[in-house]
Amino acid sequence: MTGGHAVTVLLEDRLITFNRAVGLIRRRNLPVRSIAVGPTTTPGVSRLTFMIQSDEATAIRAVQQLQKVIGVREAAAFATQDGVARELALVKVRAAADRYAELLDVVQLYHASVIDDTPDAVIVELTGSEAFVLSCIRALERFEILDVARSGAIAIEAGLTAEHRVPANL
Amino acid sequence: MGELLTGSQILCRALLEAKVDLLFGYPGGAIMPFYHALPEFPGLRHVLVRHEQAAAHAADGYARSSGRVGVCVATSGPGATNLVTGLATAHMDNTPVVAITGQVPRAMIGRDAFQETDIIGITQPITKHNRLVEDVEELADAVREAFAVALEGRPGPVLLDVPKDVQNQKAEWTSPRAERPRAIPAPFGVGDRAAGVQEAARLVAEAERPLIMAGHGVILSGAYDELRRLAERAGIPVITTLLGISALPESHPLHLGMPGMHGEVHVNRAIQQADLIIGLGLRFDDRVTGNLAAFARGAKVIHVELDPCEIGKNVPVTVGLVGDAREVLTELLAAVAQRDCEAWRGEIAALMRPRVESFRGGLSPESILGAIDQATDGRCTIVSDVGQHQMWVAKFFPYRRPNTHITSGGLGTMGFAVPAAMGVALARPDEPVWAISGDGGFQMNMQEIATMVQERIPVKMAIFNNGYLGMVRQWQQFFHGRRYSATPIWSPDYVKLADAYGIPGWRVESAAQMDEVLRAALVQPGPALVEFLIEQEANVFPMVPPGASLSEAIESAEPTAPAPPPGPKLVRV
Repeated sequence: MTGGHAVTVLLEDRLITFNRAVGLIRRRNLPVRSIAVGPTTTPGVSRLTFMIQSDEATAIRAVQQLQKVIGVREAAAFATQDGVARELALVKVRAAADRYAELLDVVQLYHASVIDDTPDAVIVELTGSEAFVLSCIRALERFEILDVARSGAIAIEAGLTAEHRVPANL
Repeated sequence: MGELLTGSQILCRALLEAKVDLLFGYPGGAIMPFYHALPEFPGLRHVLVRHEQAAAHAADGYARSSGRVGVCVATSGPGATNLVTGLATAHMDNTPVVAITGQVPRAMIGRDAFQETDIIGITQPITKHNRLVEDVEELADAVREAFAVALEGRPGPVLLDVPKDVQNQKAEWTSPRAERPRAIPAPFGVGDRAAGVQEAARLVAEAERPLIMAGHGVILSGAYDELRRLAERAGIPVITTLLGISALPESHPLHLGMPGMHGEVHVNRAIQQADLIIGLGLRFDDRVTGNLAAFARGAKVIHVELDPCEIGKNVPVTVGLVGDAREVLTELLAAVAQRDCEAWRGEIAALMRPRVESFRGGLSPESILGAIDQATDGRCTIVSDVGQHQMWVAKFFPYRRPNTHITSGGLGTMGFAVPAAMGVALARPDEPVWAISGDGGFQMNMQEIATMVQERIPVKMAIFNNGYLGMVRQWQQFFHGRRYSATPIWSPDYVKLADAYGIPGWRVESAAQMDEVLRAALVQPGPALVEFLIEQEANVFPMVPPGASLSEAIESAEPTAPAPPPGPKLVRV
């Protein structure tokens, strides 16, 4: 994903605060590719990650707007190429008995793993960039995919944090 | 163990602690415990409105004219939803308002109970903050937070939704904690202001054609003196936006007027020719800029604004200075060198032309507004509604004192003037307050005359009656081939209406009657109503068509379209 930005928000882990943050992004009509939310090491604080397909000015404005939301502790943005973004997918696949070995080969090729195995279907867990996950899901399509659950991307900036390299006077 | 109070008593006490002495509201099922407690707190005056929308507008008007937080109260469900337009108005114009709504008891929330609405969900995009108070223990702090948030930084409305059983719950009164827990993060992406001020001063020194555009932020921060001194120090002409009007007296030699869609041609030309625009506390709204791509193409922009989100949002900015207009102006005053821009002012003066008369006959908006100024000797506050008269009031009233022009700018809410003027009149008991409306907007909230009578609120109401929704009709004339669809509007006999409410009313049909009627209205101790029958097809000139650049203005009513289709004959009382 080129030209995209990750917008990360530390906020109170209350539904109303999530609602406010997401509502703000919706009202500003920003092109959101994914949203992910999860707890942090601080009790009561969650981390919300928006992956948005936008230029830097739009991402900065989103951060400034998010900072005004009561319940938001911190918000930051960085270009996706300046950090690492990963998502998790769980894929439930059914493979005929004679193709089970072939399925395991694909799983191994993508450094994925089988985390549940029943006579009817297996659940494959895979992690990686959005492109990697999509590629792996495509590879699994040669079998019968019964269900896919993707987490949406979480991201973290490499090296210095965003406030060290913002343009002056914007 | 301290004294146990009900949630309602805590709410009242917290309002008093926040220095509130006036509430606009309307009772109902889910807010009844609060109204039960209210008489125990004589320091809280309650004004019973006739529609909750009016409570929100009145609180807004009170806040705009007093600099304090306006408070409105409503019940759950329809009471709360009726506040919505008023809160959206306050949100767009950054007015500090606290709305308190009753909610169904906690156990009923989410079950579609009688008079339940998700007012938190509904008002989320139109409030600065809102909160469902989930326990009486949170209530006092929730009120403190609401008032602090409404006032701090860029002001705005805050809504507290208080379930009925929380109003009845008992708890001890808790005093405010020493420090507020909320930390305001440093704005992301904002550069060093001191360096920005120096850079701005350098741009001012270098500019040949600088202009100041002053917006609502100047009024909100009370930076009148600083604005005048900066303009005078560098000889820079000043433009005031719709919400910036009265930040500098109209008669000041450096004052140019209002820009934008209905700005005078020389004001808009000055913007287009400027090489530096100093924007103070404004957001470069589309009604101000016209077509953005063609806005002030030769100008560098210094943007002073409290909210960093606004800087660079609409107009590319050379120097952005984040902060309160008054603070930043004080810093700029220290940095900007004395100079004069005489040649540039001469260029602008050469662009001026005599005003196009709005219409034939003596009862023009100019003459009416001039007469109100004369009759009050300039000591009055004008609250306008939305539409043609709003633009006439903005352009033709000779504002002499700061913050004497109050109007719904961002949202453009018809029906604002009459209820908002009640709030203004209660904030400014020592001077006349005129609510000026068109016949359309007046009919949206004229029920509030009853509130004025019951509460003895001496608003003077002026209706500019042209029998049309005039601004829409004007657009239909210019852009829709004169198809006057749904714009002719019948009015009741306003003099009889005034009589029915027990207040004096007059109909003015000629300029000769004007002075006498205005004087009679002003000596009335209570509310009074004056209807002015104005030319039906009067227009607001000049007009920049929507989406056009500021350089393109319609300046007269040359026929631009085929003759109108035969429409209904206008009935006028």
